Amino acid sequence: MSAPSRVGSRRSRLVFAGGVYLALIALTVVFLFPLVWIVGLSLKTRLQIFTMPPLLVWRPTLENYAGVVHSADFVQAFTNSLLVSSGAVLLSMIVGVPAAYAIARFPFRGRSLLFFGLLAMRMLPAIAVLVPMYVLFSKIGLTTTRLSVILAYTTFSLPLVVWIMRGFFEDLPRELEESAWVDGASRYAAFVRVVLPLIRPGLVAACILCLQLAWNDFLFAAVLTNNATRTLPVLMAAFSSGDTGVEWGGMTASGVLVILPVIIFSFAAQRHLVAGLSSGAVKG
Amino acid sequence: MHGAMGGGSAAARLGTAARRARADPRRRSTSAWLDRQFARLAVLPTTVLMLLVFGVPLLFSLYLSFEGWSPEQSLFSGRFVGTDNYQDLLSDHAFLGSVAITFGYTAITVASELLVGLGLALLLDIDLPWISLFRTVLILPMMITPVVAAFCWKLLLDPDHGIVNYLIGSNVIWLGRPDTALLSVAVVNLWQNAPYVAILLLAGLRSLPSEPIEAAAIDGASRLQMFWHITLPLLRPYIVVALLLRTIFEFRAFDNIYVMTNGGPANSTMVLSMFTYLTSFVDFDLSMGAAASWAMLLMSMALCGLFIAVIRRREPL
Repeated sequence: MSAPSRVGSRRSRLVFAGGVYLALIALTVVFLFPLVWIVGLSLKTRLQIFTMPPLLVWRPTLENYAGVVHSADFVQAFTNSLLVSSGAVLLSMIVGVPAAYAIARFPFRGRSLLFFGLLAMRMLPAIAVLVPMYVLFSKIGLTTTRLSVILAYTTFSLPLVVWIMRGFFEDLPRELEESAWVDGASRYAAFVRVVLPLIRPGLVAACILCLQLAWNDFLFAAVLTNNATRTLPVLMAAFSSGDTGVEWGGMTASGVLVILPVIIFSFAAQRHLVAGLSSGAVKG
Repeated sequence: MHGAMGGGSAAARLGTAARRARADPRRRSTSAWLDRQFARLAVLPTTVLMLLVFGVPLLFSLYLSFEGWSPEQSLFSGRFVGTDNYQDLLSDHAFLGSVAITFGYTAITVASELLVGLGLALLLDIDLPWISLFRTVLILPMMITPVVAAFCWKLLLDPDHGIVNYLIGSNVIWLGRPDTALLSVAVVNLWQNAPYVAILLLAGLRSLPSEPIEAAAIDGASRLQMFWHITLPLLRPYIVVALLLRTIFEFRAFDNIYVMTNGGPANSTMVLSMFTYLTSFVDFDLSMGAAASWAMLLMSMALCGLFIAVIRRREPL
């Protein structure tokens, strides 16, 4: 939509651009202020945090971060988060990528049913799956294990993988694999050696988007873990239950450390964000 | 294009493998059969996993919702109680209240997210220097772990030490009063998810054909006229998708409410997910929780049905 720049005189165009920048700057302030403020708090001493009026200029301290990094609870939760997120991503990719390829390329009986099931899996409320899952998992001794969280995460990461990858497979020209078939390669060999190498950017995008969702999950982990297996969001929620107390420095520093990896992942996959968000409803 | 070249050499390697395979007729017929089963075998793991983590649990909770069952009992030793759990739910004021609050909360948050998101998308679509910087910065809130976002806002809204009260010079206990708690939670949610809508709609705006707008500009249409009569109708499919996705996600809102209010004060933020969570995992009434789950499932299936109907009707979306 570059057309509006043609509208009106030069003067009115300048006024328009000025107005747009003004609005954008105002919105940026509104949207970023909470984040900036929290990062600020994390760099203050306890005394500085509760000073009124709030300190706007101070010598930043990293003592809160040092405290967090040396806290056994945080390190353990970080490790758990890393393990269950990457486990869920790995499982969903291994299981979901071939399915996405089959859905994109081959007509088979039950294809639309499978598709419908995946859509339902992504859209239906997590809590409704979690209640029976908790009962079943606890009866086979799976609750409080990281494996239970990984399995639970596939309820959202598997549909996401299939959706994103299906889009990538559909965009891939058929000629390459067809020529491999003609050369006598099996469907399996063509998939592994011809299609997968070509689709690498898609695989990376799907991994990152899944990782982000798994890293951010709270509900499944809150129900399926204990103090030894809890993930970072569960630890963060434990901080905030009831009174927030006076440990604001440590809590904000932990918060910043939790969101830092996701922000980095997200920027890495920014181009593919739309495909992930709309789960295939809009072709990204 | 070195990706394609990599594919080419892979195809060459395949050629030798295939010639070797052809040499042995017995292996050939088995592998031909296997080859025909490719699609079926490729979707098998997904199907199994889906049944395991989704199909079986949902069927089990349907069963559980007609039973009187407590966690000490073995899986199938509950007592059949017919529709008692559902009748109890329908006479429970907390549940009925949570249905009303969920729909109200969903309506408020989705409407505000769409309005703010559309505004953001329109601004970010204008081609000006530095605009990509704003595009990057303004979507930051949606990337943040929801629990952390909610937790940060809890500190910002703290009645005594929070910056919000300091800035507006008040001492309102935002999350501790029934009349402000739901609104506060909704505002935080708006902050986090308006960028989500903005990204979806921005992708829509970027893909619109430029000819109609250029033609209108030549005809001397004002910006407002162009927006109202050209951009908005063209953008409609994207708005519908954003609307339905947000509706489905807000309907099951949980993380932010759990952290900020835990359903309180006085049940004023008790959405359905929160109600089901507390019933199942705090009161440990799992058969009642299963009934609440199925009530929720039926309501969101209706929403999903709507979603699918819209997607099917507009294929090129």
